[in-house]
Amino acid sequence: MKTSSMKWIGVVSAALFAAVLVIPAVYAAAQDMEAIKIELPKPMFVGTPKNIVSDNLEKVTGKKREPFLAPKDVTLVSEGKPAIASDMEPIIGELEMVTDADKEGADGSFIEFGPGKTWVQIDLEAAYEMFAILVWHYHSQARVYKDFIVQVSDDPDFVKDVTTVFNNDHDNSYGLGAGKEKEYIEVNEGRLVDAKGVKGRYVRVHSNGNTSNDMNHMIEIEVFGRPAA
Amino acid sequence: MKASLLRRVLFIIGILVATVGALALRGPRLDERPMHTDESVHTAKAGILIETGEYTYDPHEYHGPTIYYFALPFVWASGAHTLADTSEWMFRIVPVVFGVGLVLLLLLMGDGLGRWAAFCAAVLTAVSPAMVFYSRYYIQEMLLVFFTFGALASGWRYTQSRRIGWALLCGACLGMMAATKETCIIAYAAMVGALVLTVFWGRWRDGVAIPLRASVKVWHLILGAVMAAVIAVVFITGFFTNPRGALDLFLTYGNYFERAGGVGIHDHPWYYYIKMLIYTKNAPGPWWSEGLIVGLALVGIVGVMLRRPDSDGRNGRIGIGVLGLNVDLGRFLAFYTVLLAVGYAVIPYKTPWCALGFLHGMILLAGVGAVVLLTWLRFVPARVVVAVVLVCAAFQLGQQAYRANGVYAADTRNPYVYGHTSTDVLRLAQRLDDLSKVSPDGKDLLVKVVTPGSDCWPLPWYLRRFGRVGYWSAPLYDCDAPVVVVSQELQEEVEKRLRGDYQTEYYGLRPDVLIAVYIRRDLWDAFMRTRM
Repeated sequence: MKTSSMKWIGVVSAALFAAVLVIPAVYAAAQDMEAIKIELPKPMFVGTPKNIVSDNLEKVTGKKREPFLAPKDVTLVSEGKPAIASDMEPIIGELEMVTDADKEGADGSFIEFGPGKTWVQIDLEAAYEMFAILVWHYHSQARVYKDFIVQVSDDPDFVKDVTTVFNNDHDNSYGLGAGKEKEYIEVNEGRLVDAKGVKGRYVRVHSNGNTSNDMNHMIEIEVFGRPAA
Repeated sequence: MKASLLRRVLFIIGILVATVGALALRGPRLDERPMHTDESVHTAKAGILIETGEYTYDPHEYHGPTIYYFALPFVWASGAHTLADTSEWMFRIVPVVFGVGLVLLLLLMGDGLGRWAAFCAAVLTAVSPAMVFYSRYYIQEMLLVFFTFGALASGWRYTQSRRIGWALLCGACLGMMAATKETCIIAYAAMVGALVLTVFWGRWRDGVAIPLRASVKVWHLILGAVMAAVIAVVFITGFFTNPRGALDLFLTYGNYFERAGGVGIHDHPWYYYIKMLIYTKNAPGPWWSEGLIVGLALVGIVGVMLRRPDSDGRNGRIGIGVLGLNVDLGRFLAFYTVLLAVGYAVIPYKTPWCALGFLHGMILLAGVGAVVLLTWLRFVPARVVVAVVLVCAAFQLGQQAYRANGVYAADTRNPYVYGHTSTDVLRLAQRLDDLSKVSPDGKDLLVKVVTPGSDCWPLPWYLRRFGRVGYWSAPLYDCDAPVVVVSQELQEEVEKRLRGDYQTEYYGLRPDVLIAVYIRRDLWDAFMRTRM
């Protein structure tokens, strides 16, 4: 057989061999993923907010969010977990409301903090591999919460080993670095942050007022994950 | 003699303490809340007066000039010569002064309302959330309420003394009302109607006529009316620089009657004001209520209507009732407040601050009502309990006032916040200031504002220190500039015409209203270098 023919046979064989290995692996992995179940609250305002064009604002489509796929053993790990905040005496509400699974945004289910830079932090009480972090601020009217930054760490003080999984602070006004994510108008779906399997025990969510007023609000934070190996 | 002097001194001290409390709630942090559209328009009008010394009355808009003239002393004292030199407090201090002055005016009515009732009214005036909120708002309403009460108080003093000075002061206050806001005619009508009804009620209820003729001298009334006309004309004509203003003061009513007739965004049902005062909770969050004032006012009205005065034959007038209240004055205030409230209720056009006139009447009657309530209770422990409850309720009102002017000063859940500018505008102002610091043009940085109609307000206030700002109501051919501010409605068209490279941002102008800001790339990069 000629050398060139041998080469071609070798290349094709290698490709077939790789395909035989990879495709089933992918197929198997796909079979282990499923959409996480997210319970949504009732919408508090009707209609689609008017679009304004901005580099750093997501366009409102009015369509529902696509299902988020995660490994089958991923569950909601944040419910009932303790929370602290930069302001431990909110104007309205108690910090327990952040992980009480009540997302309705009515009286008794949301926290209102004063103006300025604010963060809320939940302690998952163990290290988890996180896949999705959902945040509901306040969705009774079409507003945008500024400087929305989500961080994960094993350090409760968030001094070392901090991973930022979402940052839409385009002008670094919060001071944690300029982010490239887009801002968004709050709706009843909340904001889903793809945590991409980051490992950590603590989740900290930042904000800095909103387009209607300077206040900061939090209805619920949900973390979907599985125990870290 | 000594006892009455002591009571008078204690009364004065009580009013002064309430005045200090009123000032404490109204005075601080005047620059924190963003400028409402109406406030910023008035600062622009005041700016013309500051810079040119000229004022021209516009019969179609803006009301009277008293808030502009009364801002001048504060502007001059600060050394400001142009609008760009001014700050929020120089304007908002004007309604603060008049709002606090309302409390002090009660010194003139202590013998009419009864000293305890006047003191209670002073406290309620000091802590009423609506009174406090609009005492920090650069619009005419608080001045109108002050001059209205000034007319009533000086009118009362005249009936007690028959001195011409009080008649002239009453006339001056009536003239200042006209120079402040055209809706003064509702108050005038309510005063006349209240006087007529008080006379008839007294005749029907007590069988005795009020000796009006003995209480006044006709030529004093005429001089008072002349004073009113002179004062109104002096201000409306801008101290005679615009004589046409005197005619426009009458012609304007055609315009305002048409606006009052309704079919606009400010049309609200008849119960709008009373509902706002009794209970408001329009979203998850705090509730608001001035029900204490409304409830006590009703008690006061019942008290003065049913109470029969004691006759002592002094000067042929009906004497003072047991509560220290002059029953005729109480009835007059009751009829006046009800007529004023009905007058504003039937007009479809409504804004929350229009309630202040009859709310103040309610406060006076609430002071009477508090005393009536305590007097009706014969059982002393019950009196103590009710007194404690009333004090606690008044304290809660003060808390609401503090909240309404603090964290909820620009929040739509506050019933007194109406079409208000979002706090996000303050960020926009800061952004433009930051950009000017990195621009080679500094404060002469060119800013183009493209918004339909008059939607640009309150931006002129926040851009007052920029030397090159243009306002367009439609997209211009050449939209490019270092900074372009554009409304949602016109953004698509403006963006098509922009040729440069821009970073876009957006800010909340009002709840549900966003504006886009285009910042030329080189300027944005220079700004971001300061941030990183």
